[in-house]
Amino acid sequence: MRRQLLSRRRLLKTAVQAGSLILAPQIIPASALGQGGAVPPSDRVTLAGLGLGGRGTRVLQSFLAQPDVQFLAICDVRNERREAIKSMADQKYGNRDCAVYSDQYELWARKDIDAVLIATGDRWHALLSILTARSGKDVYCEKPCSMTIAESRALADTFQRLGRIYQAGTQRRNGPNFARAFELGRSGKLGKLQTLHAEAGPGDRWPPATSHDWLPAEPEPPKQVVDWNRWLGPSPWRPYNSQYIQGRWRGYFDFHGGGILEWGSHTVDLCQWVGDVDSTAPVEYEPQGMGSNTPYSIYCRYANGLRLVMRDKGFLGLGSCHIRWEGDAGWVETADGGKIEVSEGLSAERLEVAPDDARGATTNHVRDFVDCVKSRKQPRSNALAACQAHIACHAAYIAFQLGRKLTFDPATDSFVGDDQANRMRSRAMREPWRI
Amino acid sequence: MPQATPQATPIQPMVDERYGSAAQIMALAPARLIAILQDPSASVYAKAKACQRLAVVGDKAAAPALAALLADPQLSHYARFGLEPIPDPSVDEALRAALGKVKGSLLVGVIISIARRRDPKALDALAKLLSDPDSEVAKAADYALARIRPAP
Repeated sequence: MRRQLLSRRRLLKTAVQAGSLILAPQIIPASALGQGGAVPPSDRVTLAGLGLGGRGTRVLQSFLAQPDVQFLAICDVRNERREAIKSMADQKYGNRDCAVYSDQYELWARKDIDAVLIATGDRWHALLSILTARSGKDVYCEKPCSMTIAESRALADTFQRLGRIYQAGTQRRNGPNFARAFELGRSGKLGKLQTLHAEAGPGDRWPPATSHDWLPAEPEPPKQVVDWNRWLGPSPWRPYNSQYIQGRWRGYFDFHGGGILEWGSHTVDLCQWVGDVDSTAPVEYEPQGMGSNTPYSIYCRYANGLRLVMRDKGFLGLGSCHIRWEGDAGWVETADGGKIEVSEGLSAERLEVAPDDARGATTNHVRDFVDCVKSRKQPRSNALAACQAHIACHAAYIAFQLGRKLTFDPATDSFVGDDQANRMRSRAMREPWRI
Repeated sequence: MPQATPQATPIQPMVDERYGSAAQIMALAPARLIAILQDPSASVYAKAKACQRLAVVGDKAAAPALAALLADPQLSHYARFGLEPIPDPSVDEALRAALGKVKGSLLVGVIISIARRRDPKALDALAKLLSDPDSEVAKAADYALARIRPAP
């Protein structure tokens, strides 16, 4: 699979070196040859997009800002999104070259695309990532990256087996304030880590429990405007309602992994990172606060004794996505606002992060991915790290749904002695989809 | 199972006239859920919710009622959703029996569920489907065989 990417660049380099392209200078712009400060095609990562809505557009802006990325094509089930992204890319490059597709198989068939940015709804994330990897391309995929424990494992296995690069859209691993907190945690300045707190939810915006409701049926738009069947993808069929495609699909069981996955996919991921437990998951999950609209917590424990608490309240109000890491010698807490609070003995540490730097996490994360596409090294939010953090979140949500303490075996991705919990590790995909 | 309204929205969700809301249906005991599947007057909505709940609480008693929906174009996937996680051999028997009863995309779905359950007793039937004139069926059979057969 790596061969394909290298072959495209090698072919371009060889052609330029042999002068075959220079023989036709009247049709080759200088930028294509790497002159005028432009990155030559042989050093560019060619990118396409799958399902880019609001968040996907913002991530794409970070990609377009990279001088060595060339965006070639957009695939979306919604015509409005296809046209919006094409307009954005064409305006950036001053041409009309961005291709549009409504069928992802046409995009996967293109051999000149190195990597794909996936930002559909959650229901498609793991499946599209896996199928994109099988088509020989690397993947940057928004979070939450999976709907189930089984999808999480299939994702990691696929990318390991195929040798493709995967970056989960958990950009806080490349956020300066979170990285600084990570340094404190890993350097030993907090002492031995005891308890890691991860903000999940928030419950008032994204309740942990999902709904099985259907909205009333509305007439389906023409397929070329919105392909409803393809929008549903592997999810169970339900009648069309425009609310779903306007972004209000969160909170429905068929489309969403639950509120814990929203911030948890970021914050639990950060906790696994600092705890040096990226290749495993907690072995115990005990939910508390099960009533609707009440604060909730899932108390978890790793096999080595380290504790993890997923909760939606009780942080210091530093922004969204709080983490708080407590060791036997001190603690650190930070969130999206960028400010870092620490216990008294650590106040002399270098903690300031400029607000602009704190907001640069996505750009840093995109850069990390592009560099790894070229180097074939693993990015910070690689498939295994994302898989394990998502498994921890899914297991916590299953414990929450069942309302009881669960014991989990990370070696087999199975719950110990709980048949109902084990049944909830996967969901049947609608035909013809499968992983 | 706790339920929550997903987003603040003025739109009221669907309700089955006889069986109520999704939350009400999914709070029913397994025997009542099976009865919904067998009720000719029950809506697709009620049957879909019953199938999804039986995925968690159903046992072999639910398998025949779920399997009866495998040939229903609107509910076949919901039937598989309910059947796939039930840890009982009767589910495998029902899925194998459906191989000879359903066609096209529904057959593809049944094959996928057999693959997910890794049923070794389906190997011969799946091998025959490799030459099915429907290429999607043949590809699904190939996927299932690769998933079920032990690695060399």
